[in-house]
Amino acid sequence: MLRGLYSAASGLTSQQRRHDTITNNIANIETAGYKQNTTALRSFNEMLLSMTGVDSNQPKTIGTWTGNVFAEESLTYHLQGDLTQTNNRNDFAIISNIAVDGLIFDQSGKAVSGNGDVVFQPQAYFTVQNDQGELRYTRGGQLSVTSEGFLTTSTGDYVLGTNNEPIVLPAGVSIDELTLTSDRRLVTSAGTDTGIQLLISRIDNPNGLVREGDGNFKLIDGTAAAITGDEAVEVRQGYIEASNVDVAQASVDLMAALRAYEANQKVVQFYDSTLQKTANEIGRIS
Amino acid sequence: MNSSMIKALNSMNSYQMKLDMIADNVANSNTVGYKKKSAVFEDLLNTMKNQPEGFELDGRLTPLGFNQGWGSRVTGIATDFTQGTLNETGVLTDMAIEGNALFEVQVDAAGTTAYTRDGSFQISINEAGEAVLTTSQGYPVVATLPDGSQGRIVVPDGYAMQVNGDGSVNAVNEAGNSIALGRIRLVEAVRPDALVQVADNLFAVALGADAAQAVAQVMPNAENRIAIRQGYLEKSNVDLSIEMTDAIKVQRAYQLAARALSSSETMMQLANNLRS
Repeated sequence: MLRGLYSAASGLTSQQRRHDTITNNIANIETAGYKQNTTALRSFNEMLLSMTGVDSNQPKTIGTWTGNVFAEESLTYHLQGDLTQTNNRNDFAIISNIAVDGLIFDQSGKAVSGNGDVVFQPQAYFTVQNDQGELRYTRGGQLSVTSEGFLTTSTGDYVLGTNNEPIVLPAGVSIDELTLTSDRRLVTSAGTDTGIQLLISRIDNPNGLVREGDGNFKLIDGTAAAITGDEAVEVRQGYIEASNVDVAQASVDLMAALRAYEANQKVVQFYDSTLQKTANEIGRIS
Repeated sequence: MNSSMIKALNSMNSYQMKLDMIADNVANSNTVGYKKKSAVFEDLLNTMKNQPEGFELDGRLTPLGFNQGWGSRVTGIATDFTQGTLNETGVLTDMAIEGNALFEVQVDAAGTTAYTRDGSFQISINEAGEAVLTTSQGYPVVATLPDGSQGRIVVPDGYAMQVNGDGSVNAVNEAGNSIALGRIRLVEAVRPDALVQVADNLFAVALGADAAQAVAQVMPNAENRIAIRQGYLEKSNVDLSIEMTDAIKVQRAYQLAARALSSSETMMQLANNLRS
């Protein structure tokens, strides 16, 4: 059978995945703290092709061939989104620009170290606890307060304080009366410390985070540590971090994925007509 | 199935919801005491396509698995309780709250209460012939009477109502006689997220939330900077220029999602025409 037919089919599937990812980015332009995704395509492993039946049955090597393509991974750009002022006192945004000694990070948040390793910039996240009691990390800071006083994300996950316990506001004190200090403690308008300090986690390798939906990330690979205060991390009250989706790039990528899909479709059609010739015209006795 | 199509559809639904909310805000930009609403978005549940060990190739940055989201959804409505500007009307039954507090009103005979910032009150005559202070929809305003019990403000015939900054109401007549009628009750929304906007410009405690924890009575004083201003109305805190900007942004996001939808439709058509 013609190998290229399957190559083109795998191209169709891969471009479909790419299109799906871009659509998901477009769907989350308005989601606070959303981090853009991108699809990394990869060719199949190299195969060694050889010809048999020549030179007294000794196989003859032709060369390598990497026939097909697949969507290998969905990478998340954990870069800072723009800050938008809302004046809602239960909106919080993280501004994070953590420095690592001896490295200068580029626009995409990565740097190449002296020995050639690619290092991604560490990022800071709110630490939340879901209803199963597991830790999750999020940049979406549109928080709300339950009637019991728990500080939660918009989907109901508890926001943790530096004591690793869900934050509970003191009874009778609303979030409107609380101000966030530069060291992330909540103090009342009268200046009394409530003893609540937001737990901001620093994750050295953001690629170890897996998106889970509802703005949450699960840490699969690597460790998280509470930020100490020396890092360039700031939390602002009354602001939200807008989605970091690049709209212009998204619409261009959308068109590119569609056209690449179309090109693959054409290739399938060409193979089809080749096969038609093989089946119906070669060897026809007229 | 083409999942781009589902994602685009999900996001168009949630953008539509945000647009509806903006329309609601704009429609109420002249409603006394109206508080702006905004939509909170989250990304929809993600699915992970598992990948076998063999996929762990050199140069891979993320843990195994191919991650796919399903669009976005509106997870909540945030109400912006910031102060609206005060507008002098000179009408004696108009009241505005300065600071973070709400009027308490009684919405049914059983004594169910709701809360509002709308102080465009009026004097209504009830079945017993009493002149009661009510909202413009006729709900009696809850007050603490001089004897300490909960009740309503009843203005005696021939008297005019005088409201002080701390909420206490006196009835005065032309002869200069003054009768204490009680104190208009104010509550503070301690847990604003437990309040939901209902009709007639009112807020009610959400189902399942504890009213005692959601709101707390407050006494207007200089320290908490809460005061009642008679003869003023609080305008809506909707800023039209912000609403219009948001409307444009959402419209463009909707447009882009629609573009993604039509693009995925083209892809399905291409797939259908594989064997032309």
